[in-house]
Amino acid sequence: MSIREKVDEYKKILDIFPNDQEKYQYLIEKAKENNSFPPELRLDNFKVNGCQSQVWLVPEEKNEKLFFNSDSDALISKGLVTLIASIYSDEKAEDIVTSEIDLMEEFELGVILSPARRNGAYSMLKTIKEYAKNLIA
Amino acid sequence: MSKFSEIKKDFPIFERNINGNKLTYLDSGATSQKPNSVIDKMNDIYKFNNANVHRGTYVLSSETTQEYESVRNKLQSFLNASDSDEIIFTKGTTEALNFLANSIANKLMGEGDEIILSEIEHHANIIPWQMVAEKYKLNINYVKVNDDFSLDLDDLSSKLSSKTKVVSIVGESNLSGMLPDIKEINNLVRSNSDSLLIIDGAQLVPHRKVDVQDLGIDFLVFSGHKMLGPTGIGVVWGKKELLNSLDPVYGGGDMIEEVHYDKATWAPVPHKFEAGTPPYVEAIGLGAAVDYLGNLGMSEVEKHSDELREYGRKVLLDIDGVNVIHSEQDIAGCTFGMYVDGVHATDLSVMLDTHGVAVRAGHHCVQPFHRKLGIDATIRSTAYIYNDKEDIDTLKSAIISSVEMLR
Repeated sequence: MSIREKVDEYKKILDIFPNDQEKYQYLIEKAKENNSFPPELRLDNFKVNGCQSQVWLVPEEKNEKLFFNSDSDALISKGLVTLIASIYSDEKAEDIVTSEIDLMEEFELGVILSPARRNGAYSMLKTIKEYAKNLIA
Repeated sequence: MSKFSEIKKDFPIFERNINGNKLTYLDSGATSQKPNSVIDKMNDIYKFNNANVHRGTYVLSSETTQEYESVRNKLQSFLNASDSDEIIFTKGTTEALNFLANSIANKLMGEGDEIILSEIEHHANIIPWQMVAEKYKLNINYVKVNDDFSLDLDDLSSKLSSKTKVVSIVGESNLSGMLPDIKEINNLVRSNSDSLLIIDGAQLVPHRKVDVQDLGIDFLVFSGHKMLGPTGIGVVWGKKELLNSLDPVYGGGDMIEEVHYDKATWAPVPHKFEAGTPPYVEAIGLGAAVDYLGNLGMSEVEKHSDELREYGRKVLLDIDGVNVIHSEQDIAGCTFGMYVDGVHATDLSVMLDTHGVAVRAGHHCVQPFHRKLGIDATIRSTAYIYNDKEDIDTLKSAIISSVEMLR
């Protein structure tokens, strides 16, 4: 599935929920399902700067594609980073770098996805794109 | 009926609906909401009077100047200062403390001199001192905070010496609501040192009657926006003879007596400390806020704060699984820091928002003290004149349902 298709899938899911509370509940469930992050990788060099909670993103390259494993000490952030990581995982670095999808515009996720630069989701996306850029360079 | 029962009607923001709920605003420690009288006053100045102060010899400038200067008189009487020249306008508490730190260190301190702060200061009362300490080779000591969140005054006594030149202490803690005994601190400072005593009144002045002459302190700093006024305006009150002895930190227009190409002389206080165009509309807005609080009466404001604190203690201290950071002394502010084991503070505040409850999450600019307690972040509820018991009940039920969801 392309980045676009995955974003559209998530949009469909999020649209089902009538209010922010239920959307957050969905993210909390996503966070609880994400048990794949080894605690020993909670390292400073994998930390995403600019989040109110601690967020870690670890990239891995397999068969010329990038995969992201993620974690956070807060549940809603963890749900959000899990969702974002799954959108950009299993994709080529070039496709990640050239993707112009603006998640802040696409998703309506209340206060956790406000279009502010000093925002956790903005930092997560920036980190993912930087990993991809470095891989190409 | 209490003066406070209908008060929300004066604040247009309470007409808002947040996520399908009425707004329960419990973040006044960060900033207060504004009554119509403040908003209207500022609008009126822009609409009908606006002109730069102290400049023009025409009607508009004269009217605005008069309004601006009259706020000094209002603040003089609000604080029981002995002279309206003792009121210096700044853009907030942070700028006020930066100004005092720089001016005092430059004029009155030398290598090896000491500054005493407390362990529970806001960053605004730590970092300016750290910056001047590095520049002028000064030392900083921190007074201990006891387990009940009171200040350890024996520790303060033991740290005071002839080297102490500044003691700068919070007047009301923005995290625990702790209200130190300022008079007692003043006595200790006077009998054990020749130090100046500065009180950070950012949280104190909005909530309690402050009489600077009765307290005996040297300087008081506070912000307008936490006491119903606009952002961008704050105050340094200082004893006139001390203000006369200090040099300005900022140079520019309006603060001079005479300027030559090689030197300048300063205008008398307060103007020598107010370089450039001051935030005069904001100052006039603060004047309207002081009028509003004056009409309520600060002793009534204090009583309301005490009632909400007692109710908060009754309701918030026994929520299952919620740890509370709150002064254990009889008298304290209506401020409650809270954390739940296993639940992140930002998660909790995001979920509370879905109930229309606005609280702050994070370290509230008191990071060293959070570190001392071994906590990353807390949520903080701070109530003000427009809050009532129902708001505290809403907070409690929102916490219970949010924690359930987050566990």
